[in-house]
Amino acid sequence: MTRQEKIRNFSIIAHIDHGKSTLADRILEATRSVSSREMEQQLLDNMDIERERGITIKARAVKLNYEAKDGETYEFNLIDTPGHVDFNYEVSRSLGACEGALLVVDATQGVEAQTLANTYLALENNLEIVPVINKIDLPSADIEGVRREIEEVIGIPAEDCPAVSAKTGLNIGDVLEKIVSDIPAPRGDETAPLKALIFDSYYDSYRGVVVYVRVKDGSVRSGSKIKMMNTGAQFDVVEVGVMSAFGLVPTAELSAGEVGYITASIKSVADTRVGDTVTEAERQTAEPFPGFKPALPMVFAGIYPADSAKYPDLRDALEKLRLNDAALTFEPETSAALGFGFRCGFLGLLHMEIIAERLEREFGLDLVTTAPSVIYKVTYKNGEVKYIDNPANYPPADEIALAEEPVVKGSIITPTEYVGGIMELCKERRGIFVDMKYLDKTRVELHYILPLGEIVYDFFDALKSRSKGYASLDYELDGYRESRLVKLDILLNMEVVDALSFIVHADKAYARGRKIVEALKENIPRQLFEVPIQAAIGGRVIARETVKAMRKDVLAKCYGGDITRKKKLLEKQKEGKKRMRRLGSVEVPPETFMAVLKLDDE
Amino acid sequence: MDKLGIYIHIPFCVRKCAYCDFYSIEDMDRRTAYVEALVSQIRSFRSMGTRHVVDSVYIGGGTPSVLSGEEMGRILAAVRSSFSVSREAEITAEANPGTLDTSKLSAYREAGINRLSIGLQSADNGELKMLSRIHTREDFESSFLLARLEGFENINVDVMYALPGQSEDTLAATLDYVMALEPEHISFYGLKLEPDTPFGRDPGIAADVPSEDVQYEMYLSAAKKMEDAGFMQYEISNFAKLGMECRHNLKYWSCEEYLGFGPGAYSFFGGRMFSYAKDITRFIAMPEDSVALFEENYIPTDKELAVQYVMLGFRLKRGIDTAEYEARFDDDFDMRYQEKMKPFLLKKYILKTKSGYRLSKRGMLISNYILSEILDFKEDAE
Repeated sequence: MTRQEKIRNFSIIAHIDHGKSTLADRILEATRSVSSREMEQQLLDNMDIERERGITIKARAVKLNYEAKDGETYEFNLIDTPGHVDFNYEVSRSLGACEGALLVVDATQGVEAQTLANTYLALENNLEIVPVINKIDLPSADIEGVRREIEEVIGIPAEDCPAVSAKTGLNIGDVLEKIVSDIPAPRGDETAPLKALIFDSYYDSYRGVVVYVRVKDGSVRSGSKIKMMNTGAQFDVVEVGVMSAFGLVPTAELSAGEVGYITASIKSVADTRVGDTVTEAERQTAEPFPGFKPALPMVFAGIYPADSAKYPDLRDALEKLRLNDAALTFEPETSAALGFGFRCGFLGLLHMEIIAERLEREFGLDLVTTAPSVIYKVTYKNGEVKYIDNPANYPPADEIALAEEPVVKGSIITPTEYVGGIMELCKERRGIFVDMKYLDKTRVELHYILPLGEIVYDFFDALKSRSKGYASLDYELDGYRESRLVKLDILLNMEVVDALSFIVHADKAYARGRKIVEALKENIPRQLFEVPIQAAIGGRVIARETVKAMRKDVLAKCYGGDITRKKKLLEKQKEGKKRMRRLGSVEVPPETFMAVLKLDDE
Repeated sequence: MDKLGIYIHIPFCVRKCAYCDFYSIEDMDRRTAYVEALVSQIRSFRSMGTRHVVDSVYIGGGTPSVLSGEEMGRILAAVRSSFSVSREAEITAEANPGTLDTSKLSAYREAGINRLSIGLQSADNGELKMLSRIHTREDFESSFLLARLEGFENINVDVMYALPGQSEDTLAATLDYVMALEPEHISFYGLKLEPDTPFGRDPGIAADVPSEDVQYEMYLSAAKKMEDAGFMQYEISNFAKLGMECRHNLKYWSCEEYLGFGPGAYSFFGGRMFSYAKDITRFIAMPEDSVALFEENYIPTDKELAVQYVMLGFRLKRGIDTAEYEARFDDDFDMRYQEKMKPFLLKKYILKTKSGYRLSKRGMLISNYILSEILDFKEDAE
């Protein structure tokens, strides 16, 4: 057997919670890469937030050795993929580095929206798909039913697919043998010019960017001069190696078929875009990998430091995060209300929440985040077309000839009993029904065209709550549609607060305006003077509430000489005041912005 | 000779009220041992007060009136034997209706107590029950009248507002009732829901507390009512007939010296602030070992004291005397505070007086806000 014939490069794909990470753990254990004691829960997911949320955000890879029943020792490269629609592009690139994928399906849940979406992605990348039925230890497991479903719904044979329990380790051996027998070995040209696919990269303060690659053709070693074909950047390779379960292990070279890392004193992941092709500077490969696209943010929000003196810290933190996250975009933005901050672009709402959480947790920043917005397309009466990602920049109605908003093709899979509620939800969210397909007697797949702006808020939560958690959603961008959009302004004490403006469909403006002024009233403490809160479209006020003037605060008794306590109380009050943001003449706690953001429905 | 106030804490209550977060216990069996311990602690300060004359003694709690006349006598005798107590000293004991009778009152008089502070809180029996007080309005009335008969000529009555379910009418009725009895002094304070009390933990209670706007009206109309009847406000929550202001409490608000005895008592003495841990068991075990009992013990800097002086001085109706402030802290009050006081002066929350500044009634109502705005607590703040 040749060297390449003993390599298997594969990913694991699954709907969320179907047991992808647990299966990865079992494979690591079964190949004796790690013992169960050494395994701190799930090695592949190694960011705290990922573990807490139980999802994989960034792809990771690990090299394993497996001694198969045929007596040969195989090199497995397991490439983990992110498990959320926000990260579809990264999933697709990770898959591009493989020859096959394990498709994990929960024996109690069957095929779900992301099962389908991920399968399509894998098929687009010409991968051999090996279905694995998981969670067969559960009493409600329906192995035969799920087998049938895989064949009927997905259309791939599942007759002899492994049925396992990743939790207990049952039948994991079958999966390993299937990898050897079913997933094709790589067949790269070892003498051709270097052609390697970047499927992940991260910034390390000692080595610079560590680039994870799959070498298709040729080879690369320390001292090689390499070039990133899309960005054009050139580097001298410092080190190459492979990813063991415990960290990076340097090797002499990486050659066709292998998965490993390259370091080359690279300063920023902006030079190592996922999907880009690494080749030799002097001898380029004729064909780069197809399908490269810079990750496009879909959701935008302003992020401001709660304490404006922390602006440089926020910039440094965002720059550090961008070192590891090419999908994150940001540019300086000034808000009259919030001062200096950044307009940040995210792949989706989850991506946004994760970034905000990391900024607060890892960099100790206190943030104010404005309501997320999508990119609206506005055609002016003079024919000019502009894409607007910040409601503050939305033009007055009389300058607009045509307003369009981004829409998505949404696919929802749900047990039949929740169809009514979900259709109602989609209608509330201005969805346009496309069709409905029965997957089997108990489940249907609904197709809707939905405005992206309607699903970036809390659509997932609403969907889950209307289906007791059973319905699943997958979506992809489907261009722009004309829409009756209006800009809703919020005024505090008669002054427009730019950071609270947002774009909304005309039919929903009144209800949203009403809710926002009510939420603001709840969240804004009384001031020395009365504060009117208004929601307005153009100059027309559509909702109003009033925060009355402060009249009495707690008059603590001050007896018995307990002066320290009284002092601490006032000190605390003073600290609390320092956190407040001044919006014109009104002082507002930073949570106010979040409260306004979270008021959506129900 | 410097003047000194003495505070003595009696941490016993027949039953703890649901809103109260002062240190007290319900185990009366430890009374005797506690009185002994107090006497020892007071005596251990014998040599400390030789340059001072005591012009006020305040026995607070808890419920000091759970003590017998004899016990009260022992404590005050210890004070007299350890300090030089002025003949005109104001000697106050807090008392709860329902714990007083003729013989006890007469023994208290005998022991030298010349001022009583009776906790009525409300003259509405429904409200009293809600507060889990052990007495009714009728109990209070007989206690008050008995005290008068026994010769107490200086009596304070505690009244609370902002009670759950209280209305402006029931508050007015309570005040009318109290003023008809003609006490010398009324403490009028708002209920504050303290986190570690049954009230503080009960969301239902918080929901029943009158709104900010109602509390505002309650405070202003009550103040007017009392002042119309000759009870002049001299502090945020204290009203008195002319010349009957509580000398002891004035010491706290004027940053004068006081020594506290008993667990949970606070002292400001010889430039040092200290307090004892709220632990009666430890206190009884080693009453003379102040160091071991300290919860807090530090010497505030001049700057800290100056901030305290302003914080407390603004509680008083007379406000801050800028000349006095300057003499005491060698610091220009106007230079330091005028800019920050401006918005409040403009809206008449703070008023200019002949000798300095004071809070208006509306200002007193938001004194926490004002003080937290103008004061700098941080040591390095300039």
